[in-house]
Amino acid sequence: MEKFNLRVFRYDPTVDEEPKYETYTLPLEKGMTVLAALFKVKEEQDPSISFRYNCRAAICGSCAVRINGHAKLACKEQITKLLKQFDTDTLTVEPAGNIKVLKDLIFDMDWIVDKMKKVKPWFIPKEPPPEDGTEYRQSPEDHAKIDFASDCILCASCMSDCNALSVNKEFLGPLVLSKAYRFAADTRDGAKRERLEAVLDKFNLEWCVRCWECTTRCPKEVQPYENIIRLRIMAAEEGFKSPGEIHAEIFEQDIVNRGLLNEMLLPFRQEGLLGGLKRAPFGIKMFLKGKVNIADFFGGHSIPRIEEVQKIYEKAQEKKKEVHIKIPQILGLVYEDKRKSKKNKESSSNGGQE
Amino acid sequence: MADLKYAFYTGCSAKGVAPELYDSTMLVAEKLGMELVELEAATCCGAGAVQEKDEFLAITINARNLALAEEMGLDMLTICNTCTVMLRESKFKLDSDPELKKAVNEVLAEAGLEYKGTVEVTHFLWEVIDAVGLDKLKELVVRPLKEFKVASFYGCHIIRPPYLIGYEDPDNPKSMEMVIQACGATPVEHDARLACCGFHSFWSAEDEVTLKLTAKDAQSAKKEKADFMVTPCPLCHTQLDAMQPEAEEKIGTNIGMPILHLPQMIGLALGMNPKKLGLHKHIVPTAEIIKKLAA
Repeated sequence: MEKFNLRVFRYDPTVDEEPKYETYTLPLEKGMTVLAALFKVKEEQDPSISFRYNCRAAICGSCAVRINGHAKLACKEQITKLLKQFDTDTLTVEPAGNIKVLKDLIFDMDWIVDKMKKVKPWFIPKEPPPEDGTEYRQSPEDHAKIDFASDCILCASCMSDCNALSVNKEFLGPLVLSKAYRFAADTRDGAKRERLEAVLDKFNLEWCVRCWECTTRCPKEVQPYENIIRLRIMAAEEGFKSPGEIHAEIFEQDIVNRGLLNEMLLPFRQEGLLGGLKRAPFGIKMFLKGKVNIADFFGGHSIPRIEEVQKIYEKAQEKKKEVHIKIPQILGLVYEDKRKSKKNKESSSNGGQE
Repeated sequence: MADLKYAFYTGCSAKGVAPELYDSTMLVAEKLGMELVELEAATCCGAGAVQEKDEFLAITINARNLALAEEMGLDMLTICNTCTVMLRESKFKLDSDPELKKAVNEVLAEAGLEYKGTVEVTHFLWEVIDAVGLDKLKELVVRPLKEFKVASFYGCHIIRPPYLIGYEDPDNPKSMEMVIQACGATPVEHDARLACCGFHSFWSAEDEVTLKLTAKDAQSAKKEKADFMVTPCPLCHTQLDAMQPEAEEKIGTNIGMPILHLPQMIGLALGMNPKKLGLHKHIVPTAEIIKKLAA
């Protein structure tokens, strides 16, 4: 029978000085999940191994681990698929990243719960419930804004692989910001400003590096990236001033006035005269390396047909009031380059011959 | 043989702080038989900044950018990861929402334009592999980089998210390593291969996040003794190269990891002059690479 290796992160902070890895060899069974493999190790080879699980159906969010460096639900991932994906006979299973390990594959969920408390992840009604005894009501369009964000199962896959969290544990993180969005964007909720103030404390919301790792990792369809961007849009609409908001303003002005970004003047506009001057040594270094066009310091030139962009900008300002941009459905979706699908179709109609 | 003519979307960086990316792309593309027709009237893609203030405007300006390529009847080729994902995000939202597309086209009509959705957005890296072909690239290599250990740095927006990128497995991409090998060099495994450079939070979290990521990434390649890192994205390049001294200062350690743009590495393997490829325009010195090439 075919075999594979499960290389498991082992660490008991009460005993071990350093984490270590132990490798277990198992027979490859059809349909076996990573969670099933962990059970097999526990039952047949090493009862001391610890991991968290509950539903075994990708619903409860208990069994998030890192498999070959990426956060996944152990119960959702099949061994054969993973071995093929990574072209290997050994899978490395580690606890979720960025979070304190309690033992082996079990990480400290309290850390996340404490972060969540900062954004009050519960409903704070805007007004008392309807007097006729019915429930708080919401239109399907309004519900669609928070539908995906409501699907979070708190598995922490997004927190595990978040790039900003990897260097700063003070970042609230995609799970917590998604929770904040889910309530701030709820039309029945009355604490929108309070929630925005909480996420904008030290501009924490803008520590996100837009790496899209969270949305890529989410085993549901929560789309933390989209939620973070929408929180930022809400903050701008509510008139909050932040570095990100100023940055967006500069981009918008440059697109309308010249088409491309003026990187030379950006520091001054972003941080004011003093802030810009602070970066002068950097600017001079870039200039000496031939990376800066000095004309840009005096505004530079604009793209051809810029008047076309200006007309579009004016019209878009009117039009956007009547447009509602939907959050797209993305679960399991992989972008398809139409040229490739055309090519595949052609080759299959030729009987699969090139 | 695939058609190698593209509507070339330069993005802001190649026209701004990364002129060496523009120059090396043009030189290498010509040698590889690619014809790049520059979209001179295209605007910035919004870079994620406009998207988080005025989403409708961001989608509309990218619909215009795409319409310019449609006017030419050519697929759009980018040389920046963020341009790629932003243009694709706009395209995805337009193509999957007829009401949005209609509203955007009513705005574009002011300028006599229409977004139809008939062109693709692709990246230089992918076209080198799929359209030019690695066999053809190998044939053209005259100065194999056999003495170089090269650390790839993909940059987020060329692998994530799958619903907008989908070129390869975001958990285990191979395209960069394939090109590194075609150039005769040895790819090195390192921890930060798929990590983020921190660029997009620079103005809001320079100290808290950005420079720490930059340092971690450059150190990751250093740890594996790479001669240089190579990236398909000019934003990663600016962050990892131009900001590397600031990142070093932040952590109090020298790193000195040279960062090359993808077309620069290909250009070296094609025997092109390092100066013409703009290697002297980098902040982290590339002298060691040039010395090794000449030896």
